Amino acid sequence: MQIAEWIETEIMKGHFESDQKVYSQYQLAEMYTINPATAAKGLNLLADEGILFKKRGLGMFVSVNAKEMIINKRKNQTLKRLVQEVVLEAARLQMSEDELIEMIKAVQNEEGEQ
Amino acid sequence: MKVIECKDLTKAYIGKNALNQLSFSIEENKITGLVGRNGAGKTTLLKIIGGFLKETSGTIQVFSERPFNSLNVSAHSIFVDDKMSFPPALQLYELLEAAGSFYPNWDMDLAERLFDYFSFDRKAYHQRLSKGKTSTFNMIVGLAARCPLTIFDEPTTGMDAVVRKDFYRALLKDYLAFPRTIILSSHHLDEIEDLLEDILLINDGKKHLHMPMEELKEWAIGIKGATATVLEWSDKKELIYKNQIGADTLYAVVKNDFDEPSLMKASLAGLKITSVSASDLCVYLTSESKGGIDNVFSDR
Repeated sequence: MQIAEWIETEIMKGHFESDQKVYSQYQLAEMYTINPATAAKGLNLLADEGILFKKRGLGMFVSVNAKEMIINKRKNQTLKRLVQEVVLEAARLQMSEDELIEMIKAVQNEEGEQ
Repeated sequence: MKVIECKDLTKAYIGKNALNQLSFSIEENKITGLVGRNGAGKTTLLKIIGGFLKETSGTIQVFSERPFNSLNVSAHSIFVDDKMSFPPALQLYELLEAAGSFYPNWDMDLAERLFDYFSFDRKAYHQRLSKGKTSTFNMIVGLAARCPLTIFDEPTTGMDAVVRKDFYRALLKDYLAFPRTIILSSHHLDEIEDLLEDILLINDGKKHLHMPMEELKEWAIGIKGATATVLEWSDKKELIYKNQIGADTLYAVVKNDFDEPSLMKASLAGLKITSVSASDLCVYLTSESKGGIDNVFSDR
């Protein structure tokens, strides 16, 4: 769900603080030219995960622990899946564990310099 | 509330059923995409809903009435396509004024703003417009009429990419401000899918599927990898499409009833799992089993 991911990123960047109201489904629909039902689904997804919470009649708000929840989720799901792919590809290329770790360190160093 | 309800709707033309026992209903204030191959029956269906054609058998109710010969349905609906007929004697601006006297919710301000934005000449005549301009003008009438039931049959015929994009955005913005029931038929599902809440796919005059757009996006998955492995994993699944690539690679699209752990196992087995776009999926679901266009060229 792209909308959910986008809101997560906005929270991570600090554009939405805890207890702050996020965009409504209609605002999101207008911003992204998408059906409001699709936008609502993205919001509800985050509410189900506890990252947002509903205030009846007022809209969706950011939970207190939203940032940590997003970080945990991304570590355990997104990053884990990416690492899995990397490990698989390394195996296909018959790379050793040390070689792979060296490669990750090298990339980290490059990123660090930038 | 259901705006459209049909049951076993059939339309027979000589020698062929254009619609064949079609049953479905459409809820108020949803945007539904109507998709299907050429000749699937989309236009026939929309014309029956609009009251332009009479059904052969089965029942159809629009605003709880049979649409054919219904004043109530005509007054509350508009059917937009590239063949809309307007009085040839009137200039474009006069057409807008005339439309204003027809449709109770007509928004002249919106009509004029769109008219100017797309640089129409007030004194031009509808018959002399280019294909793309005709579609653009008709779309303006369709939006400004603000009918509780708005039907767009292939509204973007001839429009260039910029105008199409503008149209989609205009449609969505006006829908957000004034929610209404909209049916949009198109061959370009990839362009309209974000606008849609529901999708209705018809094939050979029959309903193939009718579901929320979000569900369709997750309805199937693509599996690609070594032929034997793919066959093993797609065994006992509903196969929607398969394509042999090279000597030992197979791409298969199957109904997605895998759970998260088994998907994980599949990718550990070296398979590439991908989502299938709604537009590709509809093509796979409605393609005839003649082996595709390549077969026309083989064995000659």
